[in-house]
Amino acid sequence: MLIITCPFCGPRDEVEFACGGEAHIARPLADHKISDADFADYLFMRDNPKGLFLERWRHSAGCRRWFNVARDTVSNEIVEIYPMGSLPVKTAAKTTYKTSWRRDTAAEKAATPSRSKAGGSK
Amino acid sequence: MANLSSNKPDFSGQTALAGIAGSTSANPDGGAIGLVFGEMAHLGKLNLRGQNGLAKSVKAVTGCTFPPKANRFQSAGERHVVWLGPDEYLLLCEAGKEQELQDSLNSMITSSHFAITDVSDSLCALSLRGPAVRAVLAKGCGLDLHPKQFAAGQSAQSLLALSAVTLMAVADDAFILICRTSFAPYVQRWLADAALEYGYQYVA
Repeated sequence: MLIITCPFCGPRDEVEFACGGEAHIARPLADHKISDADFADYLFMRDNPKGLFLERWRHSAGCRRWFNVARDTVSNEIVEIYPMGSLPVKTAAKTTYKTSWRRDTAAEKAATPSRSKAGGSK
Repeated sequence: MANLSSNKPDFSGQTALAGIAGSTSANPDGGAIGLVFGEMAHLGKLNLRGQNGLAKSVKAVTGCTFPPKANRFQSAGERHVVWLGPDEYLLLCEAGKEQELQDSLNSMITSSHFAITDVSDSLCALSLRGPAVRAVLAKGCGLDLHPKQFAAGQSAQSLLALSAVTLMAVADDAFILICRTSFAPYVQRWLADAALEYGYQYVA
């Protein structure tokens, strides 16, 4: 069993937590027009790597708060635990974030607000 | 036509463990009884959400220092403020006082982002004491319950025999356990079973 360190409650048993799957998936904004195939990258496609994986976890039987975990799916080593809405700072976890196939998808690019107030495709 | 309304069961004023009679099981080793427990019937419970601008009002109404540190609680007499999360607290008060407490907090708190919910009947509080209280709880809970690790004043939300509970260490040999009302009979029976080897007394 894993011992996971909740950022608020400290180290607790894995049974108290719920895994929320892959972290850092941004929803494409409505003012961008993207194809259904590109939207499917956001909606359906999930990574399943052998190695370091950035995940969301929730301390469901404790304080019920979400946080991010960088976990190695082979060794179960937890490399970093960091708050929701922020990016990892440890080199290995940072590299995992930067090299994810998701960073190049149209869906992720469409998650950034467009500069023109009137909206548009780019 | 028969008066259907008269057939409706009346649950008003009923406690979570109303159907369970008091029971005793002697310590098989012949010593003192290891666990004495009972429901804190109708204990007032309020869930408080919010981050800023609460300290003065909560202190004035409950007498407790606010906010308590993470996984700790503050007490003043029979009133307790328990940390549940970075913006969530549980206020415990004497039975029947929860409405009054809720009204005064609602009128005193000036912050625009807060919520107070009466959860008195949603949760069941049990008072546990006795020399074996930590040994009994440790049978179903993954927390380190040694008095050095879980001292008086500390609280934790965790799982006890798979049911979600909030544990508050009142003293080395006394706890307040809060669980869902619907889980209360299960938790009561589990505690009685777990305490068999130490002897128990359940006060209805």
